[in-house]
Amino acid sequence: MSDKYAVISKSHSKIDGPAKVTGSAKYAFDMVFPNMLYGKILRSPHPHAKILKVDTSRAEKMIGVKAIVTGKDTLGRKNGVWRRFPELCDEEILCREKVRYIGDPVAAVAAVDEDTAEAALDLIDVEYEPLLAVFDPLEAMKEGAPQLHEHAERNINSTRRIEWGDVSEAFEKCDYIREEQFHTSSQAHLCMETHGAVADFGHDGKLTVWTSTQANYYIQVLLAGMLGLREGDVRVIKPPSGGGFGSKFELDSAQFCSSLLSQKLRRPVKIILTREEEFIATKRKTPMYYYVKMGAKKDGTLLAKEVRVVTEGGAYTGMGATALYLTGFYSCLPYKWAHYRYDGYRVYTNTAPTSALRGFGAPQAYFAGESMIDMLAADMKMDPLEIRRKNAVTPNYEVPGQAYIQSCGLSECYAAIEKHIKERGKLPRNRGMGIGNYAFMSGGIFNWFNTPYAFSAAMVKINIDGKVDLFTGACDTGQGSDTTLAMICAEELGVHLEDIRVHAEDTDLGPADLGSWGSRETLMNGNAVKMAAADAKRQLLEFAYAKMKPNVVYDLDIKDHKIYMVDRPERSISYFEIVQDAIRGKEGQTIIGRGHYTPHRKGMVSPAWGFGVQAVEVEVDPETGKVKLIEIVTAHDCGQVINPVAVIGQVEGATMLAAGGAFCEDQPMDNGKILNPSIGDYKVLRSVDMPKTVGIEVDTYEPEGPFGAKEAGEGLTSPTAGAMANAVYNAVGVRIKDLPITPEKVLMALKEKEKGKKRK
Amino acid sequence: MKKELRLTVNGQPYELSIKPNTLLVEVLRTHLGLTGTKKACQSSSCGVCTILLNGMAVKSCSILALQAEGAEIMTVEGLAKGEKLHPLQKAFLDYGAFQCGFCTPGMLASAKAFLDENPKPTEEQIREAIDGNICRCTGYNSIIRAMAAVANGEYKEAK
Amino acid sequence: MINEFEYFAPKTLKEALLLLDQYREDYKIIAGGQSLLIMMRQGLIQPQHLIDIHGISELDYITPDGKKGLRIGALTTHRTIEKSPVIKKSFGVLAEMENRLASIQTRNWGSVGGNLCHGDPAGDLAPVLIALNATLTTAGINGERNMLVEDFFLDYFETALEHGELLTEIQVPAIPPNTGTAYTKFNVIESDMATVGVAVSMTLASKDGKCKDARIVLGNAAPKPIRAKRAEELLRGKKMTDRLLKEAGKIASTEGDPISDIHASAEYRQELIKALVKQVGTEAFARAKKP
Repeated sequence: MSDKYAVISKSHSKIDGPAKVTGSAKYAFDMVFPNMLYGKILRSPHPHAKILKVDTSRAEKMIGVKAIVTGKDTLGRKNGVWRRFPELCDEEILCREKVRYIGDPVAAVAAVDEDTAEAALDLIDVEYEPLLAVFDPLEAMKEGAPQLHEHAERNINSTRRIEWGDVSEAFEKCDYIREEQFHTSSQAHLCMETHGAVADFGHDGKLTVWTSTQANYYIQVLLAGMLGLREGDVRVIKPPSGGGFGSKFELDSAQFCSSLLSQKLRRPVKIILTREEEFIATKRKTPMYYYVKMGAKKDGTLLAKEVRVVTEGGAYTGMGATALYLTGFYSCLPYKWAHYRYDGYRVYTNTAPTSALRGFGAPQAYFAGESMIDMLAADMKMDPLEIRRKNAVTPNYEVPGQAYIQSCGLSECYAAIEKHIKERGKLPRNRGMGIGNYAFMSGGIFNWFNTPYAFSAAMVKINIDGKVDLFTGACDTGQGSDTTLAMICAEELGVHLEDIRVHAEDTDLGPADLGSWGSRETLMNGNAVKMAAADAKRQLLEFAYAKMKPNVVYDLDIKDHKIYMVDRPERSISYFEIVQDAIRGKEGQTIIGRGHYTPHRKGMVSPAWGFGVQAVEVEVDPETGKVKLIEIVTAHDCGQVINPVAVIGQVEGATMLAAGGAFCEDQPMDNGKILNPSIGDYKVLRSVDMPKTVGIEVDTYEPEGPFGAKEAGEGLTSPTAGAMANAVYNAVGVRIKDLPITPEKVLMALKEKEKGKKRK
Repeated sequence: MKKELRLTVNGQPYELSIKPNTLLVEVLRTHLGLTGTKKACQSSSCGVCTILLNGMAVKSCSILALQAEGAEIMTVEGLAKGEKLHPLQKAFLDYGAFQCGFCTPGMLASAKAFLDENPKPTEEQIREAIDGNICRCTGYNSIIRAMAAVANGEYKEAK
Repeated sequence: MINEFEYFAPKTLKEALLLLDQYREDYKIIAGGQSLLIMMRQGLIQPQHLIDIHGISELDYITPDGKKGLRIGALTTHRTIEKSPVIKKSFGVLAEMENRLASIQTRNWGSVGGNLCHGDPAGDLAPVLIALNATLTTAGINGERNMLVEDFFLDYFETALEHGELLTEIQVPAIPPNTGTAYTKFNVIESDMATVGVAVSMTLASKDGKCKDARIVLGNAAPKPIRAKRAEELLRGKKMTDRLLKEAGKIASTEGDPISDIHASAEYRQELIKALVKQVGTEAFARAKKP
């Protein structure tokens, strides 16, 4: 396999590596400009209140304070990512009349240094009229609950139904039925670089923003909208960014307030959120109530599944409506349900807004779903791997009316995990292994952002010395898209990775791209890049054909700087030579290739799917309930692997994040106040807590993807919580249906079980 | 009232005049322009600001700069010698022991301090060595592989 | 944001005590600052005068004191304790506990004296020292005081250290023969602070004999580290069995008064005390039996 390709399928160290390991990479966090000011944001201490008055006069008098903005200084527009649905564009960011969660911004200060800006916040006098607040979505849906937004009756922000077949009728035919309730918790992204931006509004009326982001195009468009500027007058540059995980592709308070202040002052303004602000006032994972009913026939066929989900929306929509949609879709996967129905409700609450966190609704769906499958299997006395294998989706399966799955490596994944389980053999007491599996999208097809542009586009420019400039809009926040795309470009163009220089951070230079989320970059941007490289290659080959004059039945291609006859590879000429010919032949113009990709006629969800099966082994101390992670083995199908070392990084990184969400990460609240907004109080896995991880790549070829590649970044977060819940059950016989799986919950469940036994 | 501070950073001696309430990380990042070392929390918990002080890994956000009087400090910028990378930096590149890179400077400092003192560690010891440094991207195992590779002599320089 | 303060860096104990006496009204002592700086950065503590004793090298030592045990200078770092051959050999439980305390970075700079003076009931050092029957010395301009480490803690973050005083030394007595000491803290993330912590020191009458003395210390089960004296009483004079240790755990769990917080409920903390006293007691017993 590795000889088939010259560049891809072999591990390459990431191209942004040297800057990062030497400390010379400059993040937005590091940027300092002449004449720059520092900003801080004043945030609401109330979960729900009217803003009666904001008096900035005392703060304005403070030495070193240069400007203060409040909601009154904005155009009064409401921001939202779901631009096709204006009622879901509901966030002013800088509040004008009302605050809706603790942390909602009310004012922003620009001063000569951070300490002065911070001190100035204390001198801003805000008069609030506290309103009744509601924190739980089930409470918020009740008649008479406090209303957050005028347009949303009973605080129902968004609903979604997905249905085929007839579940009610089908349940009548089932031999086994199970009905359960689950709850998934909040989780913070905990990017090591907090949200931040440096905004520079020039006297020419143009705004430039350097910011840590997953989607500089989104930020460009949303900022233009909020500030009343033309998109072309807003330039967003993404420097090396310290993590995203789903938190950085919506317009945030640092970006908006720094831009507003800079617009007023015509000086650069830098706002970096503190870690506490990061916890309380950036989007977080969507907590969900999951009601699931499943039915199966006694031969093991899964027949019907009914799901009802209520999500805690928090104060605004953001991308949260997408999480509602996706979780409902993932709930039907990865099995062939003949009958399915999903009803989802996203409900506003006076808590920090909820949105996307790596997995985007899938971890929640699979926690409930995979736990249930084990429960049903136990009822049916069926092996948990067998029931899954029997009902799993297969290549070229159509999810009725929804999505078409082409490549699918699930059966190979099951085989790999089955082998692992056999090798482990019988486990000692208090140890258990649980499995979970998943299907995950390779980028979404829905265009609720309403972009008029291709979902991904790329441009390849070949210079006289054979060096290649690759322009894309893909935002690398550490997952390695710059390198992956450069590798795809190099493979297609027949050059070396070192010949490629990637330009991906600047909206002025690169094409629009929907950003790094939903695991879309490898497939969508990869396709665009491959097309652009092919276009450039075709132009070069025109000159090569003329020079080499091969028989018309023979093809030329490029590999390793040689343009060669495919059927007679010993006949070749130098790529560098042809580049020179081509540029001369085109009247001295550089060779430019263009590519783009937008999924068409591929259903409503995603053009391709990644799959995986994970086995989690735990050891439980029945005296304390402590769950120790022993080993996590994941067999996964990401189609053609582009950069093996990057894929391993995705497997291990996703596992750490998913395991954290499953057993220790949470954001407990008291009347809308997050009680643990600091690292330490917010528990996250460190190196000693990280178990042994094994990733097994299963070989498939995805026709929709570049060289057969598809997603490998988000799907891997999906199965862990369910697999862990199953593992704990197999270890000590208690099932936790409410994340995270804490030792206290396990111990209390064990005690309940003891009591139950004694009663018998 | 400002106080004098004399210290050596990456082999270079400095004489500064600073306010006593200045943290060491601020001296490095702001006064000396060495922005390789980052900050990521205000509770002394994440380890991202780790540097070497007299060969020991310490959190520069949790030390008053004046306490570094007379000290020899090494930050990530001091690891490479011109264009020649330190073995740990090469190993991090080869083993994909970084992704977003924000924790990397602190991680390298912890790694160097540990391997300087423990040239033949077990895997468990390596794991413990970086327990004070949070990484949100890699899941740590690749970092441990990189450190083990250096400890095993994979990056020994030919004499 | 750290407030502006006047800064002093005495180089000798004598200099330091003079400064403490001079600024009696408003000073804070900083040693490694690993606990103090967090609070100063959040503005929770805003001293006008900061007395930095970090440079007083005469307080950094580990000195075996013949048959009497060990004397540890208050400015000795956690890391020094962790790696000290003397401590590993004869007071291994201290090195083990230090190995699990916070992070290497914190241990490299933080001092044992600073840790005790911070007075955090969830701290790891105090329960182990109390189990080892340690004492400490505080010094002021007018002389010294000695007390049991056990008596040093008064309430949450409140110690017996008076204005004008500095903690100068910790004394760990020689461990009696046939004694085993162990410490474990419960946490979900291995380097986290203790949800609860338990230290047990058990002395047997002879190698396989009955328990002559037992000291059971609970961390984060009350506003200060406490001894579970009724549980200790249960063990004294008896032969160790699983059942007895389990019973001791049950009794110990009623002796503290743990709080409910976001990390654990009071009920769960009590369950943990039950389990840990049994587990740590078992380990201490095993160590006591070793030659």
